[in-house]
Amino acid sequence: MVFTVPVRKRVAGPASRRAVLGGLAGAAAAVALGGCWPARDKPAARATPHPLAPVVAGTLAMIDRYQATMTAYPDLSTRLAPLLADHRANLDALRRAMGTPSPSATASASASASVAPDPAGAVAALHAAEQAGQAGAAAACLAAVADYAPLLGSIAACRATHVEVLS
Amino acid sequence: MSAATDALGSALAAEHAAIFGYGVVGARLTGAALAQAQQADAAHRDRRDRLIVRLTKVGIEAPAALPAYALPFPVTDPASAQRLAVQLEERAAAIWRVALGPTTGHDRRLALDALTDCALRAARWRRATGQQPGTVPLP
Repeated sequence: MVFTVPVRKRVAGPASRRAVLGGLAGAAAAVALGGCWPARDKPAARATPHPLAPVVAGTLAMIDRYQATMTAYPDLSTRLAPLLADHRANLDALRRAMGTPSPSATASASASASVAPDPAGAVAALHAAEQAGQAGAAAACLAAVADYAPLLGSIAACRATHVEVLS
Repeated sequence: MSAATDALGSALAAEHAAIFGYGVVGARLTGAALAQAQQADAAHRDRRDRLIVRLTKVGIEAPAALPAYALPFPVTDPASAQRLAVQLEERAAAIWRVALGPTTGHDRRLALDALTDCALRAARWRRATGQQPGTVPLP
């Protein structure tokens, strides 16, 4: 049905004025296209994000940060490599918990992290990122369903040990 | 007893064991390492006391400490004492980690704080034994 598809897509709760107007605009666009919308091409309902997805994104960002710092300052590599390895292991554990088998399937979404103009500043930036990461994982742990709380708690605790190492 | 109070009871048993273990550890250490052991011992006693209060408040008899606990290996010198300290913290951390699942609210906060503290102390003891940086991915 040409007219119902865009309306259905936009109106989830009680139809607001904007949603109705949006639906009308969508319907007008559909008319302008002048064809039938094949049933199989209907826009799919947006999937709910996995509860672990934000922690995965944060872990990927942390990995980017470490890699960029180690590339900019190779002398820091010995000190930072074990911490980077911890984050990679955390990422693997998160993916196993989510049932996402292929590590290569989810490429890092963030752009290459920027690095401070001196090594001490770069380490300080990692320290701050680990602190924020610990707080984020702790909050996620406290809000999580029982199945995910232990993993998220371990990740928070791991990041706490990193904060101390980088202090 | 609920799954949450069961888990807290297990955590209390782990804290009893850690306190016993630190008695053995402290006897073999001096100086800064002894001070580190004493701080850890005090932290475990504090956690134990809070657990006893928590369980008693909901009418559950808190498990008592055993007279003695088997050690995983003989502790004969500072090096083996510090190795035992690492194990004490790792074992307590593992129990607290499990407690995160069935608990909610303040109880889960208690478990998360305890897990984090155990992880920090384990990493410090690993560094004291020469492991750098002494962290593990999933404490």
